[in-house]
Amino acid sequence: MAHWKKLSILTLILALLAIVPLVMELGSNVMNVMVTLFIYIILAQSWNLIGGYTGQVNLGIVAFFGISAMVTHFLWKAGAPIYLAIPTGSLSSVVLAALIGLPTLRLRGMYFAVGTLALAQAAQTIVANIFTRSVSMPGSFSATYSLMPRYYLGLIMVVIAITVVYVITRTKIGLAMVAIRDDEQAAQVTGVRVFKYKVIAFLISGILAGLAGGLYAYVRLSFWQISIVFSPSWTFDALLAVVIGGAGTLAGPVIGSVFLVVISEIFANTLGQAHLILFGLLFILVVIYFPYGLIGSVDRIHQLITRVRK
Amino acid sequence: MNAVIQTILIGIVIGALYGLVGLGFGLIMGVMKFVNIAHGSFIIIGGYIAYWVFTLWGVDPFLSIPAVMFVMFFMGLILYRLVLSPLLKYPRAEMRIDKSLLVTFGVTWILDNVVTMLWTSDTRSIVTAYTGTTFNVFGARLGLTGLIGLVIAVLVAVALQLLLTRTYFGKHVRAATEDSGAASLSGVNVQRTYLISCGIAAAMAGVAGVVIVSCYSIAPSMGLSWLLTAMVVIVLAGEGNIAYMLPAGLILGLIQAISTLFISCAYQQPISLIIFILVLMFKPNGLFARGR
Amino acid sequence: MLEISHIDVYYGDLQALWDVSLTIGDGEIVTLVGSNGAGKSTLMKTISGLLKIRAGYIDCDSIRLDRLPVHRIVEQGISMVPEGRRIFPQMSVLENLEMGASINPARKVRQHTLKRIYELFPILKDRAKQLAGTLSGGEQQMLAIGRALMSQPKILLIDEMSLGLSPLLVQEFCRVIKGINKLSKLTVFLVEQDVQLALSMAHRGYVIENGRIVGQGEAKELLCSEEIKEAYLGMEKADKT
Ligand SMILES: Nc1ncnc2c1ncn2[C@@H]1O[C@H](COP(=O)(O)OP(=O)(O)O)[C@@H](O)[C@H]1O
Ligand SMILES: [Mg+2]
Repeated sequence: MAHWKKLSILTLILALLAIVPLVMELGSNVMNVMVTLFIYIILAQSWNLIGGYTGQVNLGIVAFFGISAMVTHFLWKAGAPIYLAIPTGSLSSVVLAALIGLPTLRLRGMYFAVGTLALAQAAQTIVANIFTRSVSMPGSFSATYSLMPRYYLGLIMVVIAITVVYVITRTKIGLAMVAIRDDEQAAQVTGVRVFKYKVIAFLISGILAGLAGGLYAYVRLSFWQISIVFSPSWTFDALLAVVIGGAGTLAGPVIGSVFLVVISEIFANTLGQAHLILFGLLFILVVIYFPYGLIGSVDRIHQLITRVRK
Repeated sequence: MNAVIQTILIGIVIGALYGLVGLGFGLIMGVMKFVNIAHGSFIIIGGYIAYWVFTLWGVDPFLSIPAVMFVMFFMGLILYRLVLSPLLKYPRAEMRIDKSLLVTFGVTWILDNVVTMLWTSDTRSIVTAYTGTTFNVFGARLGLTGLIGLVIAVLVAVALQLLLTRTYFGKHVRAATEDSGAASLSGVNVQRTYLISCGIAAAMAGVAGVVIVSCYSIAPSMGLSWLLTAMVVIVLAGEGNIAYMLPAGLILGLIQAISTLFISCAYQQPISLIIFILVLMFKPNGLFARGR
Repeated sequence: MLEISHIDVYYGDLQALWDVSLTIGDGEIVTLVGSNGAGKSTLMKTISGLLKIRAGYIDCDSIRLDRLPVHRIVEQGISMVPEGRRIFPQMSVLENLEMGASINPARKVRQHTLKRIYELFPILKDRAKQLAGTLSGGEQQMLAIGRALMSQPKILLIDEMSLGLSPLLVQEFCRVIKGINKLSKLTVFLVEQDVQLALSMAHRGYVIENGRIVGQGEAKELLCSEEIKEAYLGMEKADKT
């Protein structure tokens, strides 16, 4: 597809997303689903940057999502405006990412994977131990609650996240990231400063995960137990979205998130917890048999067919 | 003085269990270079099987160990056949490791949800007639179940060591660990060696689960924290050093037991994480590695 | 008899062997010579099953080898000493040798085979309990050959035997290999960069260049041929000198 054609389709989608809620009453269900979708897309892009483009398997991305959600929540409650609370939340994610990334990214990939997973576990435990009671914003916030600003903030963040990934992957950093993913040793030998670029990718991924967490704190005012913002299911959902859509592509996480949210809406009510098991099976199948994601594989098959025809 | 002995006892008892938890995980990692994130879930499932056998038929948990090992062995075979062996087609080792992280994370997801559906997310433990029994050791108290767990952990570690050093199969495992290509050129059926190793690793996870449910408690969400324990033990022992797994577990157990004198035991997981990071930073080849 | 017929071999999408055919008769010593990167090791790895072929076939005594997994090819009596030896450094010398007798028939008679290998390389007996990683380069090569012989092969493939060894040791290895070939009727397929050495040991030879077989003949003839002299032995053409 020509570049301008892609761009105009994107603009059209964006315009639709921006205008439709203004001219049509979508209802809180649809709006809720859309906001959830936005959170997933941002989180999935975050995972995509470190896992998809740089090839470092982060099994605890929820740690960065969760800490930002918590920091945002408490700052906001303390009176900080939301547009300051969310960036500060993201900043805390970056600090946490540095703490776990600096010692583990130097070593072989699995230490990073397990380190991030352990970090997420530890964070959940600590938070669950400190905050044993429910936390929520004061009643005045829920009285004036509206999904509109959440929707638009989410949309803006999605645009930011996608733009960040787009821009980074087209710079020297992006080239280095892909080189590291494809063959770390070869990259090292050809002079790529592997550790530096891994850390850069991880920190930026941390910012994005932080944005998603901040948005979540903005959307959800009360938590029966705030440790649920560290639930491993966030990590799994982000991974699933990226893997299904196709890791290391710009569109993959978006398509994967849409797929995931739609399927969840359909099955969550009919199958209950069993639908999570189906998701798990789907995830494993895709990782083993469709390394380019479901969408990417369809693309590849299409390419093969056209090649054969020629 | 009593408090010190008590702390050391607690540390040894739980440390031996940590070693046991690390063994199965380390076996798969050493032989196949796969990281089995689902190891923690396997442990939990082993515990639930014992729990089931106990509540349904009243079978003593330690007597149910052979049955648990048998069932878990087959789960290991299934894990290898369905999930791990397809990954061998990827030529590069790093690629295989990354894929194994992802797929076994998926397996964990499935197993944890299945376990929650079968047994709810409540915490369970097995209480037998002798559960509260304790001995007096130099003025400190040692629980009978803890002592049995300790003996079992040591027995399993010794049995595995004998298997690896004294049997042909064990030597195949070690050969495949060092150089799978050269092993196959020597006539070793590497795929079969992998398959059986996976079964043995799962069976050992099952034993650990039985000890845990008898001495402590289990819940579906605990799988990941046991995985973290396994990982810390591996890092302490040094990757692939099966022989050092039990000592490494004991060291971790003692560190944790001593730390509980100062910090609430609710924070053991963060402490594990800190140990993990410190060891990786200063002794990335494990505590027992000689200067290379 | 080993028969390789019109095989193509790839590393991923990169083709490394084109239409390679050769035969190795029972009891022969055959060598494959070629410069660095010509595809010698690739051919060895293909015969032993580490690489799969995309065209052609490989037969041994009319049993199709190319579809068998590596350990089953060992069962068919083909054993390889890989490039770089690839012993198991953390296992003892004895354990390394035991690994060579992993296939069932060889395992039953391993004590007997072991004795023979200790006769060939007495030093391995002295070092039996030592970790293989602590052996010297020459001893490691002995161990690698010993391990390959433990499976009681009909055909022994050796990739770059002389690499990194002193000339004296190389002479010793040649003597041993020739000896087993004569006494036990062991077929040997030898890959060497040292063309002179290889051709002086072998009965017949093949020449490989850029993944293709470009010449073959009696070893003595090849040793005298002008092309070989020029390309591999560092001599100039006779008419110029
Ligand atoms: N693992 C590999 N992946 C890709 N190409 C390879 C690999 N191993 C060897 N090659 C290529 O195949 C060709 C033949 O290599 P090889 O058989 O090792 O040569 P030789 O043993 O004759 O020196 C070379 O061009 C080499 O670059
Ligand atoms: Mg070679």
